[in-house]
Amino acid sequence: MKEFLLFLPLTIIYLALKSTLFASFPLPDIPLIMVFYLASRKASTEGALFAFVLGYLDDAFSGGVIGTSSFALVVIYLAVHLLSMLVQFTSQAARAGGAAAAALVKGAAVYYILRYSNIDAYFLTHVVLQALVTGFFAPPVISALQRLVMLVTPRKFKDNES
Amino acid sequence: MRSSERNIFSFLKKYQIIIVSSALALFSLHLALTDKKEYARGYILKEMISYTVTPVQGVVLGIQDSIRGVWADYFFLVGVKEENETLKKTMYSLVDENRRLKEEARQDDRLRALLEFKEALPYSTTGAAIIGFNMERWSRTVSIDKGSAEGIQKDHAAIAPGGVVGRIIEVNNGSSRVLLTTDLRSNIDVLIERSRVKGVVEGNGTDGLIMKYVRQIDEIQVGDQVVTSGLSGVFPKGLVVGEVTKVEKSTDNFFKHVEVRPAVDLGRLEEVLVLRERSFYNE
Repeated sequence: MKEFLLFLPLTIIYLALKSTLFASFPLPDIPLIMVFYLASRKASTEGALFAFVLGYLDDAFSGGVIGTSSFALVVIYLAVHLLSMLVQFTSQAARAGGAAAAALVKGAAVYYILRYSNIDAYFLTHVVLQALVTGFFAPPVISALQRLVMLVTPRKFKDNES
Repeated sequence: MRSSERNIFSFLKKYQIIIVSSALALFSLHLALTDKKEYARGYILKEMISYTVTPVQGVVLGIQDSIRGVWADYFFLVGVKEENETLKKTMYSLVDENRRLKEEARQDDRLRALLEFKEALPYSTTGAAIIGFNMERWSRTVSIDKGSAEGIQKDHAAIAPGGVVGRIIEVNNGSSRVLLTTDLRSNIDVLIERSRVKGVVEGNGTDGLIMKYVRQIDEIQVGDQVVTSGLSGVFPKGLVVGEVTKVEKSTDNFFKHVEVRPAVDLGRLEEVLVLRERSFYNE
């Protein structure tokens, strides 16, 4: 819940900037990195709902078909949650690779949904480039998110506990 | 609680993430696939989102416009200032060139008129440009750029396409001085073209002329053309000196007071023709 309240305004600011000032720039998919981070760290039902909300906001801001990104993010959340039982996404490389793979999955899901709805989409320029950029920026973004969560989390010292 | 119910609850609790995620994924897929077909199911949510998304995007775009405005109005003006300076220099250069070309065109017109006038005259002439004015009350003279080297001598007549300008009073090697008709010292034998009344035109020291020795009985009226009589020998007969503008009785009741406007606007004169013959008595 704490992460939800922390990440939601950041996501809104990011999506507002992405859909206005940086519409033509290949920015990393921050909502996807957030979902990846939450799913790999501590999965919960709130996390799944958060993934849905982020995807919904993504679609709403980008003017796309409502439901495509939320579907993709929820599926990714579930997949990463299940995968994290087998793989630890603690190293930089694992985070980068995982985020890139997740971005590819999201892009592919969105691509096929759009194709099913007879909407033109370009796989290579949209999906692959987005996945590469997201994979590249995923480790520093995840580190920043971790620091942000730590900032709002009260520390408990064993010496003070009595 | 029965055992079967407990089993169900434990199953749901164990797989709650998978169940919730699957439900949400299916719901999302449903929204995505029905949205295109314009089913109303996703419409309410979409409308709700639009109320929150649109203002945020509006704020961002407003900030963007403000930043662009500041950039365009202030920071970008650094380059504009330099460009403005360059354009100003170019403009001044073009204005100067335009003025020069206009001046050359006007000079061409004047010289063409002077040439035509020169070719029409039965006398040998020399064209000269006025290079200096002396418009004091006691002295109305101009300097021209031709002198004795070009065959100009004292008492040669200076004329323009409009009429008489004056006579040469001083000659140097490369320049001469012309006494204008409006000078107090100038006097020219003239006659009224219409009535052939004779008289002498003198300068009044300003921009006008006075025709003297016109008797009360002589027929003269405003608008009459005053031309040279050829009696002085300086000017050939028949050159226009001016036009009568005022005729009055004189205080002595013997001569009329006649004012004449010079035929040539001496203040705007830029070129003259100098007649290279000294005496026109024989005409």
